Amino acid sequence: MISKRIKDNKRRLVELFNHSTDFVTYEFESESNIKMMVCYIEGLIDRNILDRDILRSLTLNVKNLKEIRKYIMTPKIEEIDTINEVVDEVVYGKVVLFAEGLKKGFVIELSKWDKRQVEEPQAESVVRGPKEGFIEDIAVNKVLLRKKLRNNNLVFEDLRLGKQSKTDISLAYVKGIVNLEVLEEVKKRLDKINIDAILESGYIEELIEDSPKSLLPTITNTQKPDIVAAKILEGRVAIFVDGTPHVLIVPRVFVEALMSSEDYYLRPYFSSFLRIVRVIALFITVYAPGIFVALMLYHQEMIPTVLLVSAADAREGVPLPLTVEVLLMIITLEFTKESSLRLPKNIGSTVNIVGALVLGQAAVQAGLVSTLTVILVSLTALAEFIVPQLTQAIIMYRLFATIMGGFFGIYGVICAFFVITLEVISLESFSIPFAWPLAPRNTSGLKDTFIRVHLRKYITRPKALAKQNVKRQIPPKGE
Amino acid sequence: MILRRKKVVIISYILIIAVLTGCFNAKELDELGISLAMGIDHEDGKILITAEVVDPAFSSEASNTGEGSSVRYVQGIGNTILEALKDITLKFDRGIYSAHNKVLIFGEEIAKQGLVSHMDELIRDREQRESSYMLIAKGAKAYEVMGINSGIETIPANYILGLIKNVESNPKTVDFSIMDYLKHYYHEGHHPVAGVIEKIQKNEINETGEKSGTKGYELTVIGSALFKKDKLIGYLNGNDTKALNYLLDNVKGGIITFPATSVLEEVQSQESEQILNSVNVIKVKTKNDVELEGDKVILKSKVYVRAALGELLENTDISKEGNLKRIEDDCSKTVELNIKAAVQKVQKEFGIDIFGFGIVFHRKYPKQWKKIKDYWDEIFADAEYQIEVNTHIIRTGLINRPLEK
Repeated sequence: MISKRIKDNKRRLVELFNHSTDFVTYEFESESNIKMMVCYIEGLIDRNILDRDILRSLTLNVKNLKEIRKYIMTPKIEEIDTINEVVDEVVYGKVVLFAEGLKKGFVIELSKWDKRQVEEPQAESVVRGPKEGFIEDIAVNKVLLRKKLRNNNLVFEDLRLGKQSKTDISLAYVKGIVNLEVLEEVKKRLDKINIDAILESGYIEELIEDSPKSLLPTITNTQKPDIVAAKILEGRVAIFVDGTPHVLIVPRVFVEALMSSEDYYLRPYFSSFLRIVRVIALFITVYAPGIFVALMLYHQEMIPTVLLVSAADAREGVPLPLTVEVLLMIITLEFTKESSLRLPKNIGSTVNIVGALVLGQAAVQAGLVSTLTVILVSLTALAEFIVPQLTQAIIMYRLFATIMGGFFGIYGVICAFFVITLEVISLESFSIPFAWPLAPRNTSGLKDTFIRVHLRKYITRPKALAKQNVKRQIPPKGE
Repeated sequence: MILRRKKVVIISYILIIAVLTGCFNAKELDELGISLAMGIDHEDGKILITAEVVDPAFSSEASNTGEGSSVRYVQGIGNTILEALKDITLKFDRGIYSAHNKVLIFGEEIAKQGLVSHMDELIRDREQRESSYMLIAKGAKAYEVMGINSGIETIPANYILGLIKNVESNPKTVDFSIMDYLKHYYHEGHHPVAGVIEKIQKNEINETGEKSGTKGYELTVIGSALFKKDKLIGYLNGNDTKALNYLLDNVKGGIITFPATSVLEEVQSQESEQILNSVNVIKVKTKNDVELEGDKVILKSKVYVRAALGELLENTDISKEGNLKRIEDDCSKTVELNIKAAVQKVQKEFGIDIFGFGIVFHRKYPKQWKKIKDYWDEIFADAEYQIEVNTHIIRTGLINRPLEK
């Protein structure tokens, strides 16, 4: 309980915070000799408003205890009774005001801290479309989404997770459209989480996903509000996590990896072309090394003679077996990618040059690798970046297909294809089949899969997801 | 439970792969001696195989610099084809990889003795391709025609391949593969035909930078080789081969040159020289037929030629009505005569049905066929032949009248 005496409160609070230096208490007296105290955490609050609008007003005006509330000039004020509540409020950037003789505290919302500017997310840059991206602050992120859907049906449901981190989590969905089963399931799974800290939305992703052992992610993450808006309008649920710009969206289907928000902003024919290019890229980046190794080692008769002769010329004098050579180059590619990612940006260019040397000309001239392998691995790398959402799975699948190709020829590559396809169609994301709309097939869903038809043709929301209010638009009469 | 089932599925996959795999024995490219052409000969009672093996390093260098040889020739001797092939490994550092064989050349001697006993390995082995072209070295050993390169290609096999593929623009040769040979071999009432390759002297022209080893000679694939079942019995010349191609419906192009009849009458008095016109063949459609009249067998062919005017030496304005029709008729007549002559030559000289009339007969009169199939060749040789040719000129080129003389 909060004591009437300020000194007691102060002593207990300081002890509760273990004398942590960022916890500040400040005692002052009004001109009518009423003793008061504020406590807050340094840096989490707006000191200007505290000094100018609150401390000053209180000091000048307060004549008796009943008037205190009148002179706190901010809209958000709550009254609390226990010391533990004080702790909970203070850590979220609120100021608690005590007065000598009152058995309660006033919680004043003054939180303010330094935030990154809203800027274009580097991982999801687009040519056409909004450039803004989420930042690390959940309140700003919610605003960004609200700006896309100015609608009372957009609902945020807040909860806090993590015993130590007490991270703000917020579910966002559109009432009347959201798939209620999915929403219930999300809430149920979030309730089950009992962990000490949620430091990034990746924690949540891993704790609530359907198949934690699968290589494929069954939960989307994005940094762009327009993507979140589009997806929750299809009946999905978004999960905002404080402290990270990555917002999770469930459920996810496999073909979403082939889509980009830009597809809907560009003309449909070009978008469809791009999607087909992405399908080809996905196939190439996973299977090209496997097929290459299989053809070169087992099925030389399938290669055109001219290509075979030049491939044989390139292989002449290369010391390693072809499978090992290709695997080594794939690993080297991962070295280059990883090191240029982890290094500070100003050294990054060095890595690029060194990587290009290792992967390219020098290695070929030294006779360590054959030119065809270099071309092939560069091709797979290029194709990989076309489908960025699946990178993690692609690399593992590629290694798998290459090894199978190296040991068993085309037969092995086909088996790898079956195993990978089996995994894709066996997954589920929040009770939605992962391979929808391919398996189970859904004709209206296919309109937005490998091709993107004209916007006027999208009359309903995806059928697997949207169970209520399925009409998306009413097309003009006479068309 | 589900997880366990999944594990079982994955493990069984791996086991199935290990058990069922059809492709084992990985072969690195630098262990292969890629053979592009193979010559098969009979010498001193044994089989002699000559393989043209590409040297990859040299091959790209040779195409860059134009110097050096891009192929190696290796030979093996044995009692059978397989034995001869394996004999090569004792003298050559890489295993012969024959899946890329473009051409198989048989020496004349071995072709005369019969090829079937040597064919088994060529179609049983998974590496050998039935689609490789089959050629008979006319009057020579196979290895005598190998290694001659008078073309642009750096690899002699590709030079030969180019010659065969030119059948598209000149049907005086045939482009039959091992598969075609076997197909005809197994057909009752159809004897197989194969391509011919011959080494000929080349006119001396002062070439600079001529490839060494090819001086003085070039190859030609004119004509075709006739087989009685599997034994070589003779050759057809270029014009007869052309007729053969017409009757086998195997024409993809080429020209027809024919004398101009109408003008002949006027001009003949002044000049004895023939005036010739030519057309470029666009399409040829042939239908063979057989008719049984009592005991007499009549062979019939109906040939439709679609062509474009290629060369007009008679002084005619083709834009005038009737002239083009007359030229078409002239052309038809020449084709008719040529084909008739070729068929009669084959009937008289060889007495074997290489045109496939037997197959037509078999289809049309299956009951009678059973009785006569053993004597079909004799019946063919004595049969009457009728042919009907229709020419249709669909393009006349850029000018209407020929140049004034």
